[in-house]
Amino acid sequence: MSNVRKTALHSGESTTSELAAYGVLGVSFAAFVASWALIFQWIDETATFGGLSVLQLLGLCLLVAAGGLVAIGVVSRLGALDTTPSNTAGVTVGVVFGLLWSVLGALLATTFLGGGTVLWIPAALVFGAAGTVASVLPREDIGSTVPVAVILALLGGAIALGRINAGWTWEPAWSSAVFPGSELVPVVVIFGSLLGAWSGAKAREGFGAQGREAGAFALIGTVVFGMLAVLLLLIGFIVVNGLETVLTGAALFDGTLSLFGVSLPWVSFPFLTNVTGGLFVEIPGVLPATIGTLWLVFGAVLFAVPLGVGAAVFLTEYAERGRFTQVVEVATNGLWSTPSIVFGLFGLAFLVPRISGGNSVLVGQLVLGFMLLPLVLITSREAILAVPDEYRDASAALGVTKWQTIRSVVVPAAMPGTITGVILGVGRIAGETAPLLLVFGGAPYPSNTPNILTSFQLTPNPPFVTNEALLSPASALPYQLYSTITAGVFPKDIFTNQQFGWGTALVLLLVVIGLYAIGVGSRLYFRRKLHHE
Amino acid sequence: MLQILQDGPRRITRRARDYRSRTEDGAIAMHGLVGVWLLLAFLLFFLGSQWTIVPVLGFLATVGYGWVRYQAEAAKGMTFLTTIVTVAILALIISFLLLRSLPVFGQMGLDLLTKTQPAGDLWGGNGGQIWSLTPMMVGTAITTIIATIVAAPLGVAGAVFISEMAPTRVREIVKPGIELMAGIPSITYGFIGLTIVNQYLYTEFRTPTIGNYFAAGIMIGIMALPTIVTVAEDALSTVPESMKSGSLAMGSTEWQTTKSVTLPAALSGVSSGILLGIGRAMGETMAATVMLSHTKGFPTPFIDVFGGYGETLTTVIAFEGGNASGLQMSALFAGGVVLFFMVMVLSTTSLFVEWRMEKKLRGEQ
Repeated sequence: MSNVRKTALHSGESTTSELAAYGVLGVSFAAFVASWALIFQWIDETATFGGLSVLQLLGLCLLVAAGGLVAIGVVSRLGALDTTPSNTAGVTVGVVFGLLWSVLGALLATTFLGGGTVLWIPAALVFGAAGTVASVLPREDIGSTVPVAVILALLGGAIALGRINAGWTWEPAWSSAVFPGSELVPVVVIFGSLLGAWSGAKAREGFGAQGREAGAFALIGTVVFGMLAVLLLLIGFIVVNGLETVLTGAALFDGTLSLFGVSLPWVSFPFLTNVTGGLFVEIPGVLPATIGTLWLVFGAVLFAVPLGVGAAVFLTEYAERGRFTQVVEVATNGLWSTPSIVFGLFGLAFLVPRISGGNSVLVGQLVLGFMLLPLVLITSREAILAVPDEYRDASAALGVTKWQTIRSVVVPAAMPGTITGVILGVGRIAGETAPLLLVFGGAPYPSNTPNILTSFQLTPNPPFVTNEALLSPASALPYQLYSTITAGVFPKDIFTNQQFGWGTALVLLLVVIGLYAIGVGSRLYFRRKLHHE
Repeated sequence: MLQILQDGPRRITRRARDYRSRTEDGAIAMHGLVGVWLLLAFLLFFLGSQWTIVPVLGFLATVGYGWVRYQAEAAKGMTFLTTIVTVAILALIISFLLLRSLPVFGQMGLDLLTKTQPAGDLWGGNGGQIWSLTPMMVGTAITTIIATIVAAPLGVAGAVFISEMAPTRVREIVKPGIELMAGIPSITYGFIGLTIVNQYLYTEFRTPTIGNYFAAGIMIGIMALPTIVTVAEDALSTVPESMKSGSLAMGSTEWQTTKSVTLPAALSGVSSGILLGIGRAMGETMAATVMLSHTKGFPTPFIDVFGGYGETLTTVIAFEGGNASGLQMSALFAGGVVLFFMVMVLSTTSLFVEWRMEKKLRGEQ
């Protein structure tokens, strides 16, 4: 397994090689961050520092990293450094560097040989082979530094000398888009700095098994860090853009709350408490959509939870594992992965003509219920399976029947897991839009909220109970966002369509994040309780 | 084969007799009555009759009475019923999709999925006689491939980070964070993609239209990422600790253990995560609907993902489903069928892969 042949004794002070490696890492990291800042246009691409443009500085960073890598590799190969390299850099490195070199070869061929359509293929092959050989054949300290340093140096040199500057464009024949240097350079530098960081981290640990571990960890760590940064940026972006809209006209003690005939000062929050359309609304709000979402979720839960939990009980407690349970499992899995728009089509074909003849709240509830069902089934099944068999045995030993055991022991013990699953599932369907387009949505800017509770009516003819509001279209937060995006002009002057959209998106995000927070929190709570009991 | 054919009925009759002797007559009558009421209710509902309420009331009354008299039996029957309903919903979805797409299959035959000429008249050409899904299938393929290129490596890296590298405290922040990422509504991603990514590509890269496959693919990739991370991470964390400890005890580094022990052992789970992620990407609707330009056609050459064309199977359904009729509606349903079966194949494959991994880790292979 291990291919370490000799190990370095680590002394207290850091060695020269480590210092150099830290330098490479630091420069790579700086270039990485600066490139992202350039892409997000937090730094202007025409800015200059000390006579050099930002892009040239990025090129210099790559040059410095390349120089550092070569220096470490060569000095280590000469035996002047305290490193423990393996015999070869390994196949993975060979393949990666080979691919990079072949790209380099293809680019060089098309640039300097007059864009010959045929020549780039042999050039890519030759360069790729050269890159692979150069990284696999020599000892690891050369193989994992010099080939990558050459690439970094060429790119960095071209950028630093101003050959590729902000005004330069790459217009490949196969693409309708053109790639300006101002955007291409940061992207290239991001990949270059990742490569530099990988090799630098390897060198810091003196190559060998330790070095590869450090290299892999540095690479994966950076990638995950980037992923989380994207998530935070997305959320932050919505909050920043939506906050102003949501807070329009909001004040702490401006409104009134009537409690038992007494008016008390209360928070006024027009964006949340006003209707969207209508003549007399000064600050349009998302109340109809919010109420619509609540009704949708309520109906879906009412439909899906009994079905899902019942099926989970049957599958775990009554059914024997065999062909039938496998079929159910495949069906559940199929339901879970069915695209949401397909549920919408089904609702349109099967439910709409039979229930309301048009878009309606009830059909929306049922369709979302279909989507929630597999989630409830899967999570509550897992929760029931997690109930220890001792519980069931103890209950049976007391002479309790199977059904009573299920009712009073198994289901209560599985309740926490089920509740968590339901909340997480609700978080998912609350943001679902696609099926609502087909079976649920009504006017883009509703002027009244769905009045479901008060519109139940008894009739002498079947079906004896009717509810007009339940059978008419309404709005929900995600649907509101969609119709705001696609509608042309916002009916009121106070917001533009985009501002109203950001506000709606923020409210939607808060609802969904709130549900997730409750779900994840309850999961942590129940898990802690389970482990400390 | 013959043996099974002879054995099957015999076993069933034996089990039926067993059941008959263990159950009270009243309970069996209740099961029968419930079944009849439900069948009747479904039939009436299917026909769109307003009298559906009658068998439903009958069903409720029977169950209510049965619950009081034979609670255990009633409960067992009800749970069985819920299981059947779950399977029945899927069966209904499949049959209705197929039923409604029959007209366009009859009109177009296999051309529905393969016709590529004339490129301009594939959707509603020849006076509403030609409906071909080929451009949309190409669009779905392109966005899915871009999304997979973005999501698969990042997702696996994220899973390895969470389950193998991160200290407990970091994991407790990162993991819910990733789950939250899965919960952010797709329409929100679409809104951001529309206002930022599309605009960015349009102004900086001078794409011919606002919105193209590349931008949508990247956004869908970001959305499919959490699915891959979560499933792959689950798979990695089910690899028994003893396997890892064994490797570490031999003197391997943690990375060597991850690379040569954990990842190969969890390979099937990780790949099932990737398959699920691809399924998600394929079925993703809203982000693509608001970001793409809804022009149908084939990019030339095929890798020109920045071109003006932009329509996938999901977006065409979402965009035109609201006010389509006749053959066009039927063609949209056919699109749903294609989508459903592709995603179904992916998810079922991933399920079987997961079962295999379970077996392998329990040492049955």
